[in-house]
Amino acid sequence: MTPTESPSFLRTLAPLLRGLDRQLRDWLDRPKRFAVSSIARAEIEGLADDLKRKSEALDVERPHLVIMLMGGTGVGKSTLLNALAGAPIAQSGLTRPTTRDPVVYFHHSLRADALDPALRFCRLVQHERDALAQKVLVDTPDLDSNDLSNREKLLSLLVAADVVLYVGSQEKYHDELGWKLFKEHRNRRAFAFVLNKWDRCADNPDAAGLRPDEDLLRDLTAEGFTAPRLFRTNARTWVEAGLDGTTDERPENLPPGEQFPELRHWLELGLTRLEIEAVKARGVGQLVEHVERATQAVMPPELETAAHKVRAAWTDTLNAEADSQTEILSGTLEPYRNELEHHFSLQGQQQFRGLMAIYLRLTTKILYASSNLRDRLPLLPKFKLSSNNDTRVDLVAFIHNCARSACERVLAQRLTALANRLLVEADHRGFPITLLNERTHESSCSDWEDRLTQCVVESLIETETEATQPTGWRKYVRGGVTGLGNTLPEFVLLGSLVIILWLFIVEQQVPNSLLYLLSPLYATLAVMIVLHVLILLLLPVRWSAIRGEFQSRLQTQLAEEFHRVFVPIPTEVAAQIRDEKRQVEYLVTETRQVADWLRDREQKAQISDLYGR
Amino acid sequence: MEPLDHRTKTQQLADDLSWLEDHCRRQPELAEQAVHLRLAAGLARNVLGPALEDQPPQPLHVAVVGGAGTGKSTVVNFLAGAVVAEANPQAGYTRHPTAYLPADTAIPWPSTLGFLGPLRRLTQEQPGNLDEDVYQTRRLAPTTPPSPLADFVIWDCPDMTTWAAEHYVSRLLEVVSLADMIVYVASDERYNDAVPTEFFRLLIRAGKAVVVCLTKARESDAGTLVEHFRQEVLGRIPTTDATTIPPIPVVTLPHLSMSVRNDPAGEGAKYRVPLLNQLLVLSPSAAVARARTVRNALHYLEAAGDSLLHVARRDLAELETWRELVARGRTQFEERYQNTFLAVETFQRFDRTREQVLAMLELPGPGKAVSNALHLARTPWRFAREFVVKTLIRPELPHQSETQVCAESLQGWLDSLQAEALRRSGNHPIWMTIIRNFDATLKPQARARFEEAFRRLQMKETDELDQAARAVPEYLTQNPSVLNALRGVVLAADLVAVVLMIGLNWPPGWELLLLLPLGVSISHQIVESVVNRIVGVSRTRVKDHRLDLLQENLTAPLADWLTTQPTTEGSSMEKLKRVLTRVPLAIRSLQESVAAKAPHTPASENPV
Repeated sequence: MTPTESPSFLRTLAPLLRGLDRQLRDWLDRPKRFAVSSIARAEIEGLADDLKRKSEALDVERPHLVIMLMGGTGVGKSTLLNALAGAPIAQSGLTRPTTRDPVVYFHHSLRADALDPALRFCRLVQHERDALAQKVLVDTPDLDSNDLSNREKLLSLLVAADVVLYVGSQEKYHDELGWKLFKEHRNRRAFAFVLNKWDRCADNPDAAGLRPDEDLLRDLTAEGFTAPRLFRTNARTWVEAGLDGTTDERPENLPPGEQFPELRHWLELGLTRLEIEAVKARGVGQLVEHVERATQAVMPPELETAAHKVRAAWTDTLNAEADSQTEILSGTLEPYRNELEHHFSLQGQQQFRGLMAIYLRLTTKILYASSNLRDRLPLLPKFKLSSNNDTRVDLVAFIHNCARSACERVLAQRLTALANRLLVEADHRGFPITLLNERTHESSCSDWEDRLTQCVVESLIETETEATQPTGWRKYVRGGVTGLGNTLPEFVLLGSLVIILWLFIVEQQVPNSLLYLLSPLYATLAVMIVLHVLILLLLPVRWSAIRGEFQSRLQTQLAEEFHRVFVPIPTEVAAQIRDEKRQVEYLVTETRQVADWLRDREQKAQISDLYGR
Repeated sequence: MEPLDHRTKTQQLADDLSWLEDHCRRQPELAEQAVHLRLAAGLARNVLGPALEDQPPQPLHVAVVGGAGTGKSTVVNFLAGAVVAEANPQAGYTRHPTAYLPADTAIPWPSTLGFLGPLRRLTQEQPGNLDEDVYQTRRLAPTTPPSPLADFVIWDCPDMTTWAAEHYVSRLLEVVSLADMIVYVASDERYNDAVPTEFFRLLIRAGKAVVVCLTKARESDAGTLVEHFRQEVLGRIPTTDATTIPPIPVVTLPHLSMSVRNDPAGEGAKYRVPLLNQLLVLSPSAAVARARTVRNALHYLEAAGDSLLHVARRDLAELETWRELVARGRTQFEERYQNTFLAVETFQRFDRTREQVLAMLELPGPGKAVSNALHLARTPWRFAREFVVKTLIRPELPHQSETQVCAESLQGWLDSLQAEALRRSGNHPIWMTIIRNFDATLKPQARARFEEAFRRLQMKETDELDQAARAVPEYLTQNPSVLNALRGVVLAADLVAVVLMIGLNWPPGWELLLLLPLGVSISHQIVESVVNRIVGVSRTRVKDHRLDLLQENLTAPLADWLTTQPTTEGSSMEKLKRVLTRVPLAIRSLQESVAAKAPHTPASENPV
């Protein structure tokens, strides 16, 4: 790429960055289930601001380079700028901290409103030196004095910097505050280094320690700057001599190795237009890479496999829980077996008519004399089916009470324990429980008493239907028994009466005893007893026989209910997170495209020494 | 009090504070607290310890501190009156303190146990950049005339501003705590820097006698700088009286040429003398200076004591939360036990007891015939009663066994703890530690403890049940007279019933055949209900006591064990609690000891 086409190249970047900025902000505004930490959020917001700033800065004919002097108070930032300017433009002085109002030093061809917004409110000083036409020099407040507002000012300015001139003195080149700031920004901007007050560094050549410049170079190498630009200067001497290095004249009392002219030369001629654009592009590249890293960092995890595992584990746990709860709930019904049997007997006898019905009702009455189930059926048969609903309602209310008392006693506690168990299991399978906590807790607190009672009642009714209206071979057995019951007693009664009458009328046999006269009744009763035994054997209504059936139904019901409530939670949460992950992935892809595009066009200007590895 | 007691007391206090310091260092957000704790620990072991052991006040200690490159070594040379310390342009070169001992070898080196705490004394001279927890001592050569600081130890210290400093600030603090006087060196570049100023304020808060030495300014600017320093740094030190600037002496040491620096006693004397003067003014005599050091150290410990312990309190609060969680889990365990097991348990063992007692009340020997006759007479009643019982009494509720209930409850307890810890995992490191250890150690250990405790509990339960069930029959066997009396009463009741029935039906008719069995049945029923009542009392007692037994043998020990389990990186709840109570007590007791040693010290004396 040649310099002539580079402005269009940098200008193309501007809308791309704007687009990225918009997407980042959209994403930030969207509500999220996977919580982004406030630190990450602040970082991304800051990056979005940077994108906006960069896009505006690049959207000009000739981009300018912002070079910012950064360092502790008293290291001579302002003096250095004054020496470079050849005039006392920045306030330098004795007391610390000196600079409170930053100075922006720029070419008169540059309009003030083209400057970065962060710089517009500083003291603006224009110059007419064409060698510095595309460069904006900024003197900043200190980073280490007791005046903490200075540090804030510096931080707000630093975002506008393309190149940071890290100014240190013998005392401060190694200070923690400056070093930390350098490390924070080294991946986002170009860095060059100045060791000012060089005379104080070089005055004790025999000392045991390293000379400060060597020490600093060693640290920078360790940080990945293999050939950093380091200038050893004595700005004050130049200012006091009234020289600015534009001529070959040098002050007399300069210590050996002083490099102020080299610094000036580098600023004026070393940073050509090619370099400026490379620095600019590199700055954008670093920013975009940073955005990519930051968005990668907030990428929600992939939870679907974990959700799958959690689902399987939860199913097992819920089945086990359904088993125990079935046991407890059917246990609460156990004392009422008499009532249940009574109820089932009544239900089972409904299909009988005539003599058999009367007989069965009477025997039931006697057998379940102690049952608390109110039997509204009158002692005498009425041949009506209306009473059916009454007993059922009664039974439902009754079971309601049983199940409710069971719930109050143990089940509520079991559900809290269950929720805890589920969370622990989810954690074991790598599912972050913060995402599940709320919903699981909610589900475990909702109206379980009603639901469980409902399950008990439903299973009982189902069992009853099964028992009274069987299917399969039992249906035929039942049909046969019913048919027999509804016809045989009457048939036997009539038949025996006919026989007696026949004997009396035709054979003229006079009945000789009451026993003989009542024999049809005996015969009928005997037949009915035989039938009763048959019913009891073939269509049992003993609780012990029904219980197994009831328990398995209740187990299924409970398990279904638990599954319905709990099992979808992990999958649903995982699906939500997947959607959020897709959004972030989209962001990352977009960012990566911009970064790749930029890398393709990166030019090989001589700027690598401004960046560490 | 014996010196040994003092020694253990100060040592204990210093150890506690050091332990808290370590505790803080493990949590990055508490690093600032660690500085104060280190200083406090140093004051306890280096100032209060020797003072209570009646060590002589000589030598006094002067520590030279300041930011990197401010000229600490130059100041040391000026104090010593000769070039002893090398001024090094590499910032942060000095990594451990060096003591310059007075030429007079008669002045003893403090010999208290634990002096300078974790710093080891180097036996050989080493370069100052040795980055270890050590200090070295160098003997100054005698000078003529003798140095005005002849009985002072001069300490050259590391800085606190370079980025390597966080490793060695604790060594600096150790020496600072020891010092009777401190020369705070600030250059024209550094005097208004935030990090050194913060350190300076710490010195003032600790009540150290400080002399400020402003270096490197041009001589013409010195006055302006001193004034600015007073306004900007001294003026902003929080004092009780907001308007005044603390009376801290400030001297200047301008930027000196090499020749002046190399000859502090000669060419540099004009700068050296004011500095020495200020130090001598602050120490009219060794005893006075040392007394002030001790007094102010106590002041600092007293004033800072509460905030020092703040960090521990925060952790303790989290540990308290854990304890509450354990206690809540325990309550749930017990409730579950009561509801699912105890509420439905009937202790059928007592039915046997009832039968046993009833059998014992039958007449022995020849009376057996009478008993049998009565038994026969009651047959219809027995059948009738059996029928009623069968139809009326509901069968037992089948319920879970005690083992099952307890195992499930334990699972619930542990689950609730784990889930709560997971919920809180973002709040405090302690929860992360708990989660990390939960499955690997806490759970299996808790289970093992539970198994053991449960076995013991079951044994005790069986014992108790057996004892309670056997109590009445055994009592009767051991007291035959009571047994016989009771038998008499039973027989009398039966006889009364017979006589009554006959009396009602006089002269006897066939109805007597119905009435007699009825009578003896009634009398027997009465006896039986009395026996039932007696056995029922023990049954209720066992039932009531069951929960106590569970608490005592299972839930209480387990809850105690669980409570002590979590630690915040090696600091257990117990230790935190102990330290929290011990430190204030130790500070108070030290105050008393010091007051007892120096009753004549006027209280109104200016602390600085």
